Amino acid sequence: MTEKSSVRARASHFSAIAAIPVLASGALAAAGPQAVGIASAVLNDVRIESVGARQFRPAMLRQRMALADQVQTGLRSQLQVLLLDKSVFTVGANARLSIDRYVYDPATGRSFSATVAKGAFRFMSGRPDRGHNSSISTPISSIGIRGTIVEGVVGAEAVDIANGERGIGQNRNSDPLTASLIVLRGPGQRTQGNAIPGVIDVTAGGKTVTLDRPMLAVYVPRPGAEPIGPFTLSNSGLARIQALIFPLLAEWAAMAPVGNTPYPVAQPNRPRPPRPGEPFPPDGDAGGSSYQPPYGSILPGYLQFPRPTGLPRPPASTPQTAVDAGVTPQPGPAEVATPQSAPSSQTPALQSPTQTTAAPTPATTSAPTPAPKLRQNAGSLPGSSQPAGSTPATNKQTGAPAGNSLPIPGKP
Amino acid sequence: MATRKPAFWPWAMGLCAITACSSVAAQTMRKDTLAELDKLSQATVGVVPGLATARRQIASGELLGALATLERVLIHHPDAGEVLLLHASLLCRLDDRSGSEVEFDYLRGRGVPDQQWNEATAPCSPNWKPGT
Repeated sequence: MTEKSSVRARASHFSAIAAIPVLASGALAAAGPQAVGIASAVLNDVRIESVGARQFRPAMLRQRMALADQVQTGLRSQLQVLLLDKSVFTVGANARLSIDRYVYDPATGRSFSATVAKGAFRFMSGRPDRGHNSSISTPISSIGIRGTIVEGVVGAEAVDIANGERGIGQNRNSDPLTASLIVLRGPGQRTQGNAIPGVIDVTAGGKTVTLDRPMLAVYVPRPGAEPIGPFTLSNSGLARIQALIFPLLAEWAAMAPVGNTPYPVAQPNRPRPPRPGEPFPPDGDAGGSSYQPPYGSILPGYLQFPRPTGLPRPPASTPQTAVDAGVTPQPGPAEVATPQSAPSSQTPALQSPTQTTAAPTPATTSAPTPAPKLRQNAGSLPGSSQPAGSTPATNKQTGAPAGNSLPIPGKP
Repeated sequence: MATRKPAFWPWAMGLCAITACSSVAAQTMRKDTLAELDKLSQATVGVVPGLATARRQIASGELLGALATLERVLIHHPDAGEVLLLHASLLCRLDDRSGSEVEFDYLRGRGVPDQQWNEATAPCSPNWKPGT
């Protein structure tokens, strides 16, 4: 074989070697984006922008979820994503989520990273994490996951919940667009079954705080700030997070009227973001925001958001809700934010703090209505599964919430 | 004496086969897993199959899996009290006492029969053992 033909043969060999990964990747590309899980539960307005698509499309039940899919939820909406390793990601209303990296090998475990840009989320590990290499990012913090149940809230709701927590003090100078509240839910040291105790590391502003007990939480108030905490989240704070992640459950618990009555879970009034060069916060109101709680006065006492001081009071004709001195709060009129279109995926919609209006429904009487009975064992329900977006029948009833005292083992 | 160079093509074909096989195996595994996830999701469309699935998972020690199953049911059936009761009880078993307190409080005063209430709150006692 001459020198020239030998070189040509080698070149063809190298071409063949180079072609192998090209062909393999071509085959994979032809098969479409790699699914990393499915949309295992979809409630109301959930939209997904797939890679390559230029618009959000309504999510379908059991739709395949791929890397870098952008998820956005609307009002009273919720999505549960079941990942290949059976980890579960749940986001509540007005949330944005994307799964950025996901590697799963049944033999060795899984590692992943995800981003929650806005809203409330809950993550449950399906398996122990390989090399502690899994994380969830918020705009201003990163949560290192080590086999665990973790919940968090990003945005104005986080500021509001933090304002109600004694464990973190006041004057936090919070950014209502990016503030992040993160809480470890478990499992605790005395867990049973095949679960292992959960631990998370929250990093922000160059500092890392480790949470290793259920209900330990940290709050990151603004970009560049170190985490405040750990502190023990109050039960009322936890209930508020739950209300954001499970909006219909919170409605049911509060017996909120739905249907004809405008439900005050519209976009909250938020302070405008700082303009370039303007000191933060723009209104000079250190330590608080003019955010108004989304659930207004419909929640029972422990779910009530404390009204920040300095906010305009509702019109005089609007009945006030009694929440203390043993008076049962009534569902009802309260105030609702002016209906807004769903926020853009890029820029969160901001509203003037003055956009409140009285709900058209008249006030109910002050006499408490008996709380509706539970749906008892489901024995009668085989065919009663409701489609996504439907409203449970009992939610249409109005009534007083159940008692608010917390110690459990007592009798209902 | 001229040495004979090893043939290239058998080696390349072998590499190709290994790549293809591993790719096919990964795709098959992924497909199977997705089918399994579909089945789990399907099983929780209704309250009754959801409860049954969760109880099976609890019996096999998959407490987190059962928790996820019940949460799927609660997303569409928030008024399914028995599901919420079992969910709250599971939180106790996972040592998330505060979480269970909040959920038990949702249920307080809503007509949960005594026996069901006692069974559900039993795991919250520090001396409780599974099966007791």
